[in-house]
Amino acid sequence: MAARSSAGSKSASRTLVITRVLDAPPSLVFKAWTDPKHAARWWGPKGFTTTYCKLDVRPGGKWRICMRSPQGKDYWAQGVYREIVEPERLIFTWAWEKPKGRPGRETLVRVNFAELGEKTKLTFRHGVFETVKDRNSHRSGWSQSLDRLAEYIAKG
Amino acid sequence: MSPDRLNVTFAALADPTRRAILARLASGKASVTELAEPFEMSLPAVSKHLKVLERAGLIARGREAQRRPSRLDAAPLKDAADWLEDYRRFWEESFDRLNDYLRELQMKGKRHGRKK
Repeated sequence: MAARSSAGSKSASRTLVITRVLDAPPSLVFKAWTDPKHAARWWGPKGFTTTYCKLDVRPGGKWRICMRSPQGKDYWAQGVYREIVEPERLIFTWAWEKPKGRPGRETLVRVNFAELGEKTKLTFRHGVFETVKDRNSHRSGWSQSLDRLAEYIAKG
Repeated sequence: MSPDRLNVTFAALADPTRRAILARLASGKASVTELAEPFEMSLPAVSKHLKVLERAGLIARGREAQRRPSRLDAAPLKDAADWLEDYRRFWEESFDRLNDYLRELQMKGKRHGRKK
């Protein structure tokens, strides 16, 4: 079992943070993220299969993936690569698709791969309200909203 | 919960007056007049905020003619928090699979000579 930890999801912060130690060197982990053949084998929750996977891994390149649930429902997601530093770092936008393939709200995914002997320490961040485009205008608003949100839920 | 609905929830929460109104309602029902008291604000202005909160499903308003007391509905707030939690589950399970797959790849690599 690989070591795992996660934080940030329950504290109502605006970014989900997950760290993991994976049993492979960064070069292989990076490949597993960026080669469609490999990515299709693990992307999505347990029991899901990947039925479509296109990854144009270069700055500005698009990616699109379809995950099929065990019940047969298809979930499409897409985004654009912002930064690629092999084998250390990947930054891309993420959006679930709405009907007719239009992207929904954009979020930002940042993945770091750090060498740890023969293993890799993965640091994963998924910014819920922190998109590249909207970051400056929305940052304080969203963050305050979420701080408040936590209070209200605690009260309720 | 749909992203559109979440956008409405978060947009409603993005205003300090509306958050203060929600905080007040967390301690019980209140009329427009009661809600307007702590603010230097006209009743129509407060009503406008209440409409935004109502559209976002964050409050419900009574039908009692003049008073129409508002009360807090916490469900959309919880949905917004659950949304983050859903993503956490999504990625944690993906990373479980990623680690299994990486091990499988390396086993193959050892059997057939390391893949480049």
